Amino acid sequence: MAVAKISKAEFYIHKSEADKVLSILQNTGSYEIIPFNSEEEPEGQVIAHPDLSRVDFLLGETRYLLRFLEPHYDDPVSGLARAMGDKDELSLKEAAELDKKTDVPAAANEVRKLERRLMEIRSEVAQIDTSVSLLEPLEEFPYPLELLSSGTERVRGVLGTLPISQVENWSREAEALLGKRSEVYIAPVGEREKYRFVALFFEAPLSGDVAEFNGAFTFNRVEIPASLRSGVLQELALLEDRRAALVAEEQDVLAGVEEAAEKWVAVARKLNDYFSVLRDRYEALSRGGATEKVVMLRGWIPDSNLPEIKKSLAAFDSSIELVVTEPEPEDDVPSLMANSAWCLPFENLTRLYGVPGYGELDPTPLMAPFFFVFFGMCLGDAGYGLIMIGLFTWFLKKYRKMPRGFSEFFKLFVLSGVSTVIVGALTGSWFGDLVDAFGIFSFLRPLKNLPVILNPMDDPMTFLGLSLALGVFQLLFGLGVSFFDALRRKDYMAAYADSGAWIVFLTGLLVWGIALAGFMSSGWEAFGKTVAIFGAIVLLATQGREKTGFISRAISGVLSLYGATSYLGDVLSYSRLLALGLATSAVGVIINMLAGLAGDIPFVGWALALLLIVGGHVFSIAVNVLGAFVHSLRLQYVEFFSKFYSGGGRAFSPLAYNTSYVSIKKEPVE
Amino acid sequence: MDLLGIALAIFGAAMAAGWAGAGSAIGVGIAGESGAGVMTEDPGKFGLVLLLQALPGTQGIYGLLIAFFAILKVGLLGGGAEVTVNVWQGLAIFFACLPIAVGGYYSAIAQGKTSAASIQMIAKRPEETGKAVILPAMVETYAVLSLLMSIILLNGIKL
Repeated sequence: MAVAKISKAEFYIHKSEADKVLSILQNTGSYEIIPFNSEEEPEGQVIAHPDLSRVDFLLGETRYLLRFLEPHYDDPVSGLARAMGDKDELSLKEAAELDKKTDVPAAANEVRKLERRLMEIRSEVAQIDTSVSLLEPLEEFPYPLELLSSGTERVRGVLGTLPISQVENWSREAEALLGKRSEVYIAPVGEREKYRFVALFFEAPLSGDVAEFNGAFTFNRVEIPASLRSGVLQELALLEDRRAALVAEEQDVLAGVEEAAEKWVAVARKLNDYFSVLRDRYEALSRGGATEKVVMLRGWIPDSNLPEIKKSLAAFDSSIELVVTEPEPEDDVPSLMANSAWCLPFENLTRLYGVPGYGELDPTPLMAPFFFVFFGMCLGDAGYGLIMIGLFTWFLKKYRKMPRGFSEFFKLFVLSGVSTVIVGALTGSWFGDLVDAFGIFSFLRPLKNLPVILNPMDDPMTFLGLSLALGVFQLLFGLGVSFFDALRRKDYMAAYADSGAWIVFLTGLLVWGIALAGFMSSGWEAFGKTVAIFGAIVLLATQGREKTGFISRAISGVLSLYGATSYLGDVLSYSRLLALGLATSAVGVIINMLAGLAGDIPFVGWALALLLIVGGHVFSIAVNVLGAFVHSLRLQYVEFFSKFYSGGGRAFSPLAYNTSYVSIKKEPVE
Repeated sequence: MDLLGIALAIFGAAMAAGWAGAGSAIGVGIAGESGAGVMTEDPGKFGLVLLLQALPGTQGIYGLLIAFFAILKVGLLGGGAEVTVNVWQGLAIFFACLPIAVGGYYSAIAQGKTSAASIQMIAKRPEETGKAVILPAMVETYAVLSLLMSIILLNGIKL
């Protein structure tokens, strides 16, 4: 139960062996490299691996291939399954061979050509679509479009839109002004309602006059692309043909893309992971320092992994110097939690809050039993618990190669399910009151009633008392932990004056209160009072001891006693155990009741009832599991951790195989 | 007079289910808007976003719960024995429904805003999901306390 011990390890390696040594370190996956600070160590020069730029370039190419091809790839393994650890295994040797015989840039260029062609086709189709939508309203236009787009030697034309109200005026004035040297065309439709397409043809020298004339109206000129020359219908037919040809070609290119995806995605994934593994290693090298012949690496190794690393580097004995030292107080040591198997599933919860700092206490084993019990109380329905156990066990069985983080989370849910079944059985809740609500389950009733010790629906006050008592216990336990932690750190003042005094003060208040309420004999009342007063005096005397001056110390001492109200709030916060437990059972009861009512409907009633029971309970499980998880977690984080844990550590992140698509086989240590 | 008692109890139930539900709808809506924004950038966050969006939805369920408790108590829901409820008892049931009606409504909206902020947080720092879930849960505490009080009050009313 603790944070693993970590040592500082410095390697001095002959340059020629540096890459090999790093690959072995990467294989063991337990060495975190500290970047060399070149300002402190001016003699250190940055070393770039000769292969780095090649790998960088190839990594870019495989990423490009994957980005473009993956949407066209019919993946045999679903994304979910891959996240659950369903990955191909690959050894570095196989990957290196694959790298040697694959010409990634050629493949990428091939694919780029396809991509470019696809883009060209799509932009041309878009152009055609614009032209078609422009020409369609002009279907009855009687002249070749050439007149409008480029004009002939003598005649020019302009096309535009006019508001309907101006059309008549415009055509009359055009004739009046330009007379025989022009001609007017008015289309039967317009671009929008209330507008008409109109065209004006005129002798070339009149261009200036026409522009001026049109300027007097709300005339919006429409440009016809120069490529359109013949009659409208003819051009439309041509465009249609071209479009059909392009669409057909697009299909061909897409088929090519799919073929390429089939051929390359699997390979590119393997290589992508291989290159990123290489890249990590080369970057690690560049973080070391170097002299002319020697590379220096500085980093952290968990003590438990030291023998393994020493053993796997035995072959390089002559060219390596390894110096292992204790971390110094000013070092920023990463932390790695090392817990025994029973509380591993709960480690994730600590990680969600923040890993412990190096040398700090790991709260996982202390919190685990509480979370277990609280989750059970918040969900509190044996039927729901059974479903959780079944579902998550099935997941664990189906995806055996799941990454550790996932599998531990799933185990956490199985454990939570177990706790839920226990609490549910003790309170007699199986899918709400399913067993009592329907006659067909009556044979189960005696069995269900056997382990019941308390029904929170009938007796909520007892359950509330139980919840608050658990709260008091956890809070005092948290203070106790803080007490012993301070002793361990040899901070005796914090141990006795802070945690210790609070424990004494609160216990005294508690005994006094219970005795006052008449649950204990009156002798206890005086005892509790004395203890509480003693605790209060210690607090008064010691709180604010960092302050200077008698008065400000006395004031902080008095004010600190008000901290008691925050403990009161903390305890009351545990009432959620009752409220959420009740909410689950009540929602279950309501679902069963509605199903019972629906069951009375003739003919279809049984089907409706079944639907309501299944759908309702599935909904209820989803909502209540979320609630139970969040709230039992909150009690740990807010009420429990705040007493002794800060969680400001930095997680240990060693040089290892970090891959997305395949898993790299670890070479066994001989 | 008996009918007025029943009507008051129903009034209480309606307030509990209605207001708490309205609050949850607003809260889930606020969180959902924020979530949709985040997912335009990264659709892969759907699972996390949905989880955070669902958090302000519980108040509606608590309200429904109290409404059911209230009408069960006055025997409006099938199977229950005939109960007579006088005006004072009906009024008492009405008051007992108020904590979750008021507490549920306001806490759901506040929780929705916190959820929306948390969703923005996981958009930038997905590794901090644990903390992002706890912040809205802090707000929910007060809805749970309201629920608890409504349950205890309803439980205490003698018919």
